[in-house]
Amino acid sequence: MLTTGDGSMETTVGVYFCHCGGIITEKIDPALVRTAVLEFPHVAYFTEISLMCSEEGLGDLVRDINERRPDRVVIAACTPREHEKTFKRALAGTAVNPFLLQVVNIREQVAWVVDDPAAATRKAVAGIRSAVARVVHNLPLQKIEVPTRDETLVIGAGPAGMQAALNLAQSGRSVVLVEKHPMIGGMPVRYESVAPNMECGPCMLEPMMDQVLHGDAHDRIELLTMAEVTGVKGFLGNFEVTIRQQPRFVSEVNCIGCSMCVDACPARTPHPYNCGMNDKPAMAMPFLGALPNLPYLDMDACVRATGEDCTACRDACPIPDTVLLDDAARTIERTVGSVIVATGAGLFDAGRVPQLGHGAVPGVLSSIEFERMSSPSGPTAGKIAAPGDTEPQRVAIVHCVGSLDKEHCDYCSAVCCQVAFKFNHLVRHRFPEASITHFHRELVFPGKEAGRLLLHGLHQEKNSFVRYGRLADVRVVDQPNEREVQLRDGAQWTSAGRYDLVLLCPAMVPGDDTAALSALLDVTTDRWGFFEELHTRMSPTQSKAAGIYFAGTCHGPGDIPHAVSEGMAATAAILSSIVPGRMMELEPIRAEVIAERCSGCKICLSVCPYRAISFDEANGVAAINAVICQGCGTCVAACPAGVITGAHFTSEQVYAELRGILA
Amino acid sequence: MAAKPKISMYWASSCGGCEIALVNIHEHLLELADNFDFVFCPCLLDTKRHDIEAMDDGEMLITFFNGALRTSENIEMAHLLRRKSTLLVAFGSCASGGCIPALANLTTREALMETVYGSGPTLDNAVHVVPGPTTTVPEGDLTLPVFERTVGTLASAVDVDYVIPGCPPESAQIWAVIAHVIAGKPLPPKGSVLGAGDKTVCDDCKRVKEEKLVSRFHRTWEIIPDRTQCLLEQGIVCMGIATRSGCGGLCPDVNMPCIGCYGPPEGVRDQGAKMIGALGAIIDVQPMKDMGEARVAAHIAEVLDTIPDLAGTLYKFSLGGSLMQGGLATANAATQATTAESTAR
Repeated sequence: MLTTGDGSMETTVGVYFCHCGGIITEKIDPALVRTAVLEFPHVAYFTEISLMCSEEGLGDLVRDINERRPDRVVIAACTPREHEKTFKRALAGTAVNPFLLQVVNIREQVAWVVDDPAAATRKAVAGIRSAVARVVHNLPLQKIEVPTRDETLVIGAGPAGMQAALNLAQSGRSVVLVEKHPMIGGMPVRYESVAPNMECGPCMLEPMMDQVLHGDAHDRIELLTMAEVTGVKGFLGNFEVTIRQQPRFVSEVNCIGCSMCVDACPARTPHPYNCGMNDKPAMAMPFLGALPNLPYLDMDACVRATGEDCTACRDACPIPDTVLLDDAARTIERTVGSVIVATGAGLFDAGRVPQLGHGAVPGVLSSIEFERMSSPSGPTAGKIAAPGDTEPQRVAIVHCVGSLDKEHCDYCSAVCCQVAFKFNHLVRHRFPEASITHFHRELVFPGKEAGRLLLHGLHQEKNSFVRYGRLADVRVVDQPNEREVQLRDGAQWTSAGRYDLVLLCPAMVPGDDTAALSALLDVTTDRWGFFEELHTRMSPTQSKAAGIYFAGTCHGPGDIPHAVSEGMAATAAILSSIVPGRMMELEPIRAEVIAERCSGCKICLSVCPYRAISFDEANGVAAINAVICQGCGTCVAACPAGVITGAHFTSEQVYAELRGILA
Repeated sequence: MAAKPKISMYWASSCGGCEIALVNIHEHLLELADNFDFVFCPCLLDTKRHDIEAMDDGEMLITFFNGALRTSENIEMAHLLRRKSTLLVAFGSCASGGCIPALANLTTREALMETVYGSGPTLDNAVHVVPGPTTTVPEGDLTLPVFERTVGTLASAVDVDYVIPGCPPESAQIWAVIAHVIAGKPLPPKGSVLGAGDKTVCDDCKRVKEEKLVSRFHRTWEIIPDRTQCLLEQGIVCMGIATRSGCGGLCPDVNMPCIGCYGPPEGVRDQGAKMIGALGAIIDVQPMKDMGEARVAAHIAEVLDTIPDLAGTLYKFSLGGSLMQGGLATANAATQATTAESTAR
């Protein structure tokens, strides 16, 4: 078998023509094609097979190739998207390398679209001529095999990240679970109740959190709280990860969570997990019931930061060597094969729409502030109160704060309508006589469960609904002991009622760390700033970088079941792509730098969507990592010196194909 | 003593710079004369075409053919010198890539004639005299060579053995090739490029190169570029990235961009297309992220408008040898033929 790909005249090509059970031959006359094709250089023979993709047809193909022993094969049949892989697999039973095959699509691109049989036959002949001209320049290629690591890095311990970590650990894989906060559970663990069924957030999550901390597979989950990923390099199967863990000043091993240190702490600081609505000690639990059940010391708030030698927390601790006042940040390095990003989303800052009064008018609360207010672990221990510690009897709920708004976020945030009706439910439960007014634009309640929440809210006697057109036409005005919601009609602002509490439901926006993390991971963000999927519908949990996955709201608004499903989906992708002991098999269609002719202009460095190109400073040349390269050919086109070649798509091969079709 | 091998140099549609570059080998000319019989060079010697015609086929060992093929006479001379030479070398950018003369392919022969002899602002040609192959005067018919429809490279008309690129080729490189032949060293395979490197000008350029991101381009007079940073990174369209090495990086050395005179690098057919691919790769797309489709198109147009003459800039030396070859001249001729046909009908 000739394998030089130099197109020399001795190279023989066998041409196979599929009738597709009569579908192709209805338009294209194989006898005429045969006569024309046998005249082409290199073509040794022309064989017709009535249905090549059938078991019988494939058998005939293999038998015929083994008898006639061509150097290269051209198959004229349906689109290569349908059966090129089938034919390549069949070639495994012959001496012909699968890359020495060229498929010509004479069904979709000829028989089905050309009306005139004579024209169809001419077009089929031209296609085969082009394939023959190309295939003599093809080179045999072998699949690339690389070893892989089966550990996984999961960033973020909310519902999505925890679910992923659990699935992986239960399948026997090691997981490094990195969480920025001192506790796990993500956002819903901070909610008094979760829509649409009004379950208690921490209670709903407790079994999952317990599994992560103490379950059967917990010893395969290395949980790093108060930690952030600071460096990632490498590729699918082999990522080197650097993690920076802040000091907790409390021994995770020794501490029993008795809180005696918390009670002893003399320092006070605004409570970060209650939106600053109350104070907490510098040494504190994140909030009541937070897991792991360990306090943490906020050293910026500690009186030691001002130079005082306070040891109150250590003195109060009943267990020796548990409060560690000289604890320091750690740098941790791990090698993993895959990465799941589950860092969650952020909340649109309602202060960006100043006329809504958030932060300026008392009694105007954002959704997370009201979540905390209604939670027993929150600033008021669950007491819902209007300013002046009064019972709210008139409550306004403003929907779509930032969502579906061209000036802010032009998407629907998916969950805020449910949140708004959940608030309705909470208020109604505590204050049955309260009047509640919803200021909304759209009402979105998809799925089988949420509808009940909608119907429940819609049909309450003391509820009213006001639809507004643009958020810019809604404002909240501070009045003595009450807040007035006003709506604008033309230039005129008119009152839409006076309220004790105004609850804003802001849009879900990309998390604060998204941009920095996307740069670290070399994954892209979309035009809203969320992580960008490989394909929003068909590969929704996959990033554009092989081996890096997204789960939950880090790549767009979604609810808890969505996050949990995606945690599992990402896990499935990892379990099927990285199997312990199995080498990773990669398609050999890769780009390669001809190093001896590279002049180091660095044009190619920024074009690779997979970040497969690096610069070899020692030799002054670009280098492509064959494992990361996906063979897209962008750098081949961009290289102005013509020294990057794409395997199976060399200039010579492409030119030959073009000359063939144009001849 | 055996007769010395014969060498010649011819100019077709060219400026004479190639001959000057040859003369610039200075005293090496004496060595050239010691080793060769320099038989033909209209710029320097008095031998005529009929002297060449009188020679045997293949009698000359080497002919350096510079200049593009613009007229029927250029083409005739290409065929004649091909026949009489053992080795025919496309010498300089005009013969190898069409160079400046081939930029005429961006328009039609008729439009060129009209600009030069008809409507030019400095012309006073009321009777509209335009030169043509035959002009009848009272004394009889005057003839001129035919001004061809397109400008071709030497290889577009005849078989070429080697290429020495450059506008003009660097004298040291010319001498290196001649010295190589004098030394009797084996020549590389037919079709090879001589007197040049196999990398790009960037390889010789001493500037620091980093990852590139350009939001607009500048003409050379618009900014004073930093002397150490890659010019392309500063928004100057430097062709060094897509130009064969061999000159030593002279232009970037004096703070001027490479204009591409050594033509496409090894393995590249179309220098301009490679430049377009590369420029497309370095234009900053970040500002386009939130733009609508129409706005993106407008933005790209704005960025590209900062390069006033794309074809003239990127194909200055290589249009004739590029994938476009005849360029617009061929396309327009075809359109005109179709139009004429439909008009006739």
